[in-house]
Amino acid sequence: MAAAARPLVSVQPLPASLNDMATDHVTTVALPDVMKASIRPDIVNFVHTNISKNSRQPYAVSKKAGHQTSAESWGTGRAVSRIPRVSGGGTHRAGQGAFGNMCRGGRMFAPTKTWRRWHRKVNVNQKRYAVVSAIAASSIPSLVMARGHRVESVPEMPLVISDSAESIEKTSTAIKVLKEIGAYPDAEKAKDSHAIRPGKGKMRNRRYISRKGPLIVYGTEGAKMVKAFRNIPGVEVANVERLNLLKLAPGGHLGRFVIWTKSAIEKLDSIYGSFEKCSEKKKGYVLPRSKMVNADLARIINSDEVQSVVKPIKKEMKRASLKKNPLKNLNVMLKLNPYAKTARRMALLAEAERVKSKKEKLDKKRKPVSKEELAAAKAAGKAWYKTMISDSDYTEFDNFTKWLGVSQ
Amino acid sequence: MIKRPSRGKKKRGFGMATVPGQLIWEMVKKNNCFLVKQFGRGTASLRFSKESNNLYNLNSYKHSGLANKKTVTIQAADKDQAVVLATSKTKKQNKPASLYHKSVMKKEFRRMAKAVENQVEGNYYRPDLKKAALARLSAVHRSLKVAKSGVKKSKRQALKIRV
Repeated sequence: MAAAARPLVSVQPLPASLNDMATDHVTTVALPDVMKASIRPDIVNFVHTNISKNSRQPYAVSKKAGHQTSAESWGTGRAVSRIPRVSGGGTHRAGQGAFGNMCRGGRMFAPTKTWRRWHRKVNVNQKRYAVVSAIAASSIPSLVMARGHRVESVPEMPLVISDSAESIEKTSTAIKVLKEIGAYPDAEKAKDSHAIRPGKGKMRNRRYISRKGPLIVYGTEGAKMVKAFRNIPGVEVANVERLNLLKLAPGGHLGRFVIWTKSAIEKLDSIYGSFEKCSEKKKGYVLPRSKMVNADLARIINSDEVQSVVKPIKKEMKRASLKKNPLKNLNVMLKLNPYAKTARRMALLAEAERVKSKKEKLDKKRKPVSKEELAAAKAAGKAWYKTMISDSDYTEFDNFTKWLGVSQ
Repeated sequence: MIKRPSRGKKKRGFGMATVPGQLIWEMVKKNNCFLVKQFGRGTASLRFSKESNNLYNLNSYKHSGLANKKTVTIQAADKDQAVVLATSKTKKQNKPASLYHKSVMKKEFRRMAKAVENQVEGNYYRPDLKKAALARLSAVHRSLKVAKSGVKKSKRQALKIRV
């Protein structure tokens, strides 16, 4: 049934030397559903702050304080302030200011009254939610350690000891039991931390402070262990049927170190019920449902169901690259226009050609012309002249014979 | 934890369905007994953590010894020059007494560093803590050397281990 799916907690046996009854071999108890309830530090804090107001005793200033005078203001015209002043004479008190909060011996501003609302009502369901959360938190070693309890040598959390502890009568055996189950370092820490409180609380009947040690929860009414354990400094005892949030989450902080007896843990199921089944002791109460049943995000994300539908990781992050000017940067230009390479190459080659040919031409011009070339040039000139004459039939015209020197 | 169906009367105790680390971290990050708020610049803004399983002693999820199922810790052992390497076992989360797998190492530094690296990264235990583990190992080792040979008397004195 439901019990089959719940993990088991082993009950720590107490050594036979401590009690007459033979110890049973290691038995196990199924984890009560309370311990799986959702842990809500916000609710616990809220309930704790309100519940801790409930044991306050009223304080107030005497209602007559500051008014037991028949003072009257002197009015204006006497070169003094207008506060009511004490009438009469013959004593220091005469003429002193009275009644005001600023006056010496006057009443305070807003005198405190006993009918201030000292106690707070908290919804029953919220109170139960908080207790259930606190019980669940007490079974998680991380939270208990974070609250400051020394649980490194505790064999298992939640810590359950066999019922033979309930009949312990001597405190010395009680201490031995604590040592056996690894709870003694925590009690020791509490004992060592006993110190005088700093501040005015010292003189207001709150002289000493110390840390909290383990809370021992027993199941059967009237168990003798209460007397045995209660004198150990730091150790507190409670009955399962009456668990107090102020003890389970001291200071509003979850994770008190709790030691359960076997009968106590077995009763938890009937007191708080389960997520479906109503509690037997609390009418119609069902354990609060959590928003997420499985809060292990890492496991959910890495589970097959999620991973099979999820898109693959984008390993390559495309980042904005710096824009480079194609007109200045050849490679970028090529990315845009591959032909630019050949175009530029051809341009370069053409340029080189042009330069070369110009240079040759100039060189030729600057070089002094040799005699053969000179003669060849002259002869070519003369030949051209002759062809020009013959082509254009200059010889036919008479007018030209005068200066047409060159006759055939 | 995969819950196996129980067959008849044979009930086996498997591990606690633990509250997951993320949830614990949310509860613990602001307020826990190991939190140290000091050494900010004029404010107490740096958050350190005094837990024993925290390799950098920083109050953060990755390094936290409270919120993680797998933690690594390196500390000085009681014996002189020996270092304890402890890793936590994932299956025993609710049994604090048997939670840690401790091993005392008293070798020369390079061997110890190799051992630490293998434990932390080699078997994929917590590869993201490798650097932190090695850093802590050298810090602890150095402090043991100093403890042995005494604090330096002048700044320029060499660190010698006097046997």
